[in-house]
Amino acid sequence: MAAAFEPVLTKNVGHPEALALQGYKRGGGYEGLRKALGMQPDEIIEAVKASGLRGRGGAGFSAGLKWSFIPKGNDKPKYLVCNADESEPGTFKDRLLMEHDPHQLIEGCAICCWAVGAATCYIYIRGEYTKAAWILERALAEAYEAGILGRSVLGSKFALDMWVHRGAGAYICGEETGMLESLEGKRGQPRVKPPFPALVGAFGAPTVINNVETLCNVPHIVTRGADWFKSIGTNEKNTGPKLYAISGHVERPGTYELPIGIPFRELLETAGGMYRRGNLKAYIPGGASAPILTAEHVDLPMDFDSLAKAGSMLGSAAVIVLDDQTCMVRSVARLAKFFNHESCGQCTPCREGTNWMELLLDRLEHGQGREVDAALLLSICKNVAGNSLCALGDAAVGPVKSLVERFPEEIEQHVRERACPFPPRRYFHDAA
Amino acid sequence: MPKVTINDRTVDVEPGTNLVQAALKTGIQIPHYCYHPRLSIVGQCRMCLVKIEGMPKLQAGCSTLVMKDGMVVRTDLPEVREAQAGMMEFLLINHPLDCPICDQAGECGLQDYAFKHGVAFSRFQFEDKRTYPGRERIPLGPNVVLNMNRCIQCTRCVRFTQEVSQTGSLGFFNRGARTEIGTFPGKPLDDDLASCVVDICPVGALTSTRFRFAERVFYLDKKPSLCTGCEVGCNITIEHRRGQIKRYKPRFNPDVNDYWMCDYGRATFERYRQLPRLATPRAPSSHGENGGAQPTGWREALDALARGLRQRGREGPVAFLGSGFLTNEEAYLFAALADLLGTPHRSVPVDLGRPRTIPNLKGGITGREYAPNRRGAELAGLAAREGGLGAADLLDGDAAARCAALVVCDSDFGAAAHRPEFVERLRRAPFLAVFGWADTPLARAADVALPVAHHAEKDGTFVNVEWRVQRFARAFPPPAQVRTGVEALSDLLSRFDARWGGHDAGRVFDRLARENPAFATLSWEELPATGALLNVPEAATPPAVGIAAEEDL
Amino acid sequence: MSEPQPKAAPPRLSDAGRAELDTLRSRYPTTEAVLIPALHIAQREWGGWLPDEAIEAVAAELDLPPAKVYGVVTFYDLFHQHPVGRHRIRVCTNLSCQLRGADEIVELLHQELGVGEDEVTPDGRCSYVHFECLGSCDTAPMMMVDDDYHENLTPQRVRRVLKELK
Repeated sequence: MAAAFEPVLTKNVGHPEALALQGYKRGGGYEGLRKALGMQPDEIIEAVKASGLRGRGGAGFSAGLKWSFIPKGNDKPKYLVCNADESEPGTFKDRLLMEHDPHQLIEGCAICCWAVGAATCYIYIRGEYTKAAWILERALAEAYEAGILGRSVLGSKFALDMWVHRGAGAYICGEETGMLESLEGKRGQPRVKPPFPALVGAFGAPTVINNVETLCNVPHIVTRGADWFKSIGTNEKNTGPKLYAISGHVERPGTYELPIGIPFRELLETAGGMYRRGNLKAYIPGGASAPILTAEHVDLPMDFDSLAKAGSMLGSAAVIVLDDQTCMVRSVARLAKFFNHESCGQCTPCREGTNWMELLLDRLEHGQGREVDAALLLSICKNVAGNSLCALGDAAVGPVKSLVERFPEEIEQHVRERACPFPPRRYFHDAA
Repeated sequence: MPKVTINDRTVDVEPGTNLVQAALKTGIQIPHYCYHPRLSIVGQCRMCLVKIEGMPKLQAGCSTLVMKDGMVVRTDLPEVREAQAGMMEFLLINHPLDCPICDQAGECGLQDYAFKHGVAFSRFQFEDKRTYPGRERIPLGPNVVLNMNRCIQCTRCVRFTQEVSQTGSLGFFNRGARTEIGTFPGKPLDDDLASCVVDICPVGALTSTRFRFAERVFYLDKKPSLCTGCEVGCNITIEHRRGQIKRYKPRFNPDVNDYWMCDYGRATFERYRQLPRLATPRAPSSHGENGGAQPTGWREALDALARGLRQRGREGPVAFLGSGFLTNEEAYLFAALADLLGTPHRSVPVDLGRPRTIPNLKGGITGREYAPNRRGAELAGLAAREGGLGAADLLDGDAAARCAALVVCDSDFGAAAHRPEFVERLRRAPFLAVFGWADTPLARAADVALPVAHHAEKDGTFVNVEWRVQRFARAFPPPAQVRTGVEALSDLLSRFDARWGGHDAGRVFDRLARENPAFATLSWEELPATGALLNVPEAATPPAVGIAAEEDL
Repeated sequence: MSEPQPKAAPPRLSDAGRAELDTLRSRYPTTEAVLIPALHIAQREWGGWLPDEAIEAVAAELDLPPAKVYGVVTFYDLFHQHPVGRHRIRVCTNLSCQLRGADEIVELLHQELGVGEDEVTPDGRCSYVHFECLGSCDTAPMMMVDDDYHENLTPQRVRRVLKELK
């Protein structure tokens, strides 16, 4: 049962003393790094591989495998770029980790750098996260002061620099190559792949890019071992603790750390159930790009593979819950607006497709839709999905396609009644 | 070399060749907009999507490199066609339907692919297309106009200014469906290579200020030629309608100008319009009256010239002033005439100016002279000789007055042919003959003036700054009373020695190749399309005789 | 950019800003990599937005073509090409916040401030925009005022926040 789970990543949340280095150390902090420095880099990579840790940013790629792609040898500089550009609508878990336990992230980054032979780590944080950036900067200064970073990490021969790099407001910079472009001072337009960042990444050098939550798991894997990590979760391929960020129509929205693979129903209960005791109509299990699931999927385990099998994805595990008073067309139109706004504009299908989808959905919501629009939306989705340069195109298709497929009658109703069938909803009685 | 199979046709390609290039080797065209062989690969337009065996999704052909044997590619599957039609639809939903007033119509990537890969109807049923109000005719610089409504955001132009011309004057602004290209205020696109962005723009977004509305491109006759703007020798296409040149376009030659040419060169044909044409021969009347040069026939004019040269040649020195605009063949015949008259007084003046560099894969070629063939003309026999009266003596001194006769070929050899003080100095020669296409002040001052073809009207070869000899053919015939320089000179020479009659450019070139070791082994017929490097020792390369600074032009 | 400057702006970054930039330069292998940090600094120095002269100053500082810098400026939502209020309000209206009344918060701001989105109040005090997800969905609806998050908004709370802005 969820309630019995002892938090790993969030154990310092609510303990402000852990913000300071001394407080973090008192809870066993930097023991993982110390242990790691006594291990061979390959041993660490093997341990992370064995743990089954999969990227917590959205794609769910094996972290250890990713690290193993970095060429060995010291002839070239290598980089770790920590993806702290958390911008997927509904996602707010990394902010929590950075604002409440910055040293855990620094420790995770440092271990990763040692394992792959990187001497520089950039924490690319979205520009809006000013508080988290400030907290991280302070923690980094402390770590330099204490000899955890700099010329000799914890007295070893390993030299490591770590810097916070602030973005400036662009969702696409969460895409790893868009992030690299942005880090290099350019427009955050994703690159063509291959070459993959493991070979040609930041400044042309081999680069590991990992999400904040992914890296925060690393110290624990090193201290407690891969077997411990694997003991948490659904199965061999879905292991470890997971932060679920749940929002929308729930009573207690928030970030909940639970074993990966917890059924949605339990997650919903943990978050206090439906908002004002409404009825569940739909939920988005993994951030705005995840196809929408309905009440019939209420018992689905929230892990990578179960959600994929159900035609959606775990993504960033940002769960948005919608009750039955909610207009799905309006909700998806809002997401379509987001993707149109955030499309970088370089590739044709995403630039034009996201724009067209927003126009169509907006027209539908305002009662000017046509009967052909549902089929047209699907056709646009087909032309965008898989054809765009990066994953943003596919992401934009997720909610739209699932809207047409899972809520066709709601679209029909908008067309037939020439208006949105849902009365405007007011959350505040004393507002405008 | 790795093998790749495209639509069942297998070819060997260099490792690292992309699929667009590999497919070309098999004769298959993969449609593309953003890809250009000299620009970084960005995979943006998504028109080149192809199916690669073993890959779940379609892949962009431009960014997929053949590294090892065994890649199997299909471009003819329904799913590929569907994706291409999908991309065309995306590109067209917001594209204006202004082909009737668009300069690009007829050579437009959107028109071509819409026909080949698109669908014939629109599903984008909205009142308004996306427009960029106020950005329909923005001058990006003196030579390039932007219509943002037509842009398909391929960023070729932006990458060109960043990677090839390296000015960075164009940028990609905003995001998503509002992305646009442009310059920064006060930093126009005004470098030497600016108009190349018009060439590489696949649609009508970037048009040439000079060519805008000048002609529908499908009415143009296109003939391969060479630019005469400087000694780089850019390969060009002359695009004309009934002898009216409308524009020059660069023609690909990896050894010279690659895909590019400069804006100065593009404008050089305007000279053919700006200067009055020397349209009929002029010579003193045969009745011996003192009426100066009068319009006459070719035979009379050449007779008068031959007669003049024979008589004057006995009285004193005859000087030959050549030009960097002469072909090697003309220069050879001009020099042969000087040889016949036994005179050492010969030279090739050119104007010097600001250097311009045309980039190519070896770095680039820089031109400083305002004529295409000073080197070739000198090699062919017009190089100044020890003790001879040269260009400097004639133009800056009073050498002309000490000559018995002066022959100038051609009438527009440089700024000095137009400026009164120079014309006056040259006119001091007791007998002045001028060949040329332009009726310049110098031609008007001549005793005998002979109308010859300009370079678009004749065949010939030029030698560029790297000693590469390149051949070009006439784009259209000269006007009725005008003959090519080779015809005219060969006819004139035959008046001294009948064996010189009936030469054409090919025959002259082969004769030159037999006699001059620099041209050894070359022949007119077999000269490679990209030209041939001459065997010229470094020591035999005298500097140009400069006579005018750039501001004179 | 025809709007007058709030104050006589320096044609280049201040000495303090350049010093800050110099510290940052040592952290990256290329000069271009400090462009976004440099633009943050410039925006701070130019009163919250980036007029052409600020872009030129940064371009000169880093030896980059101004068109390239302008391309970067226009790519990111946190860089402004028009004057903004002394306080900048960004209201998240993405789905999680929309599901908890964000649109009403935008309406309220419109009513309270009397200007439209992206317009500056006549006294120069505020400007507001709707914004994409700010990563605070558990405290929806929310808004960001300058660098601070204001969460679990209610109309009363919004009015109180506005009152405190000078």
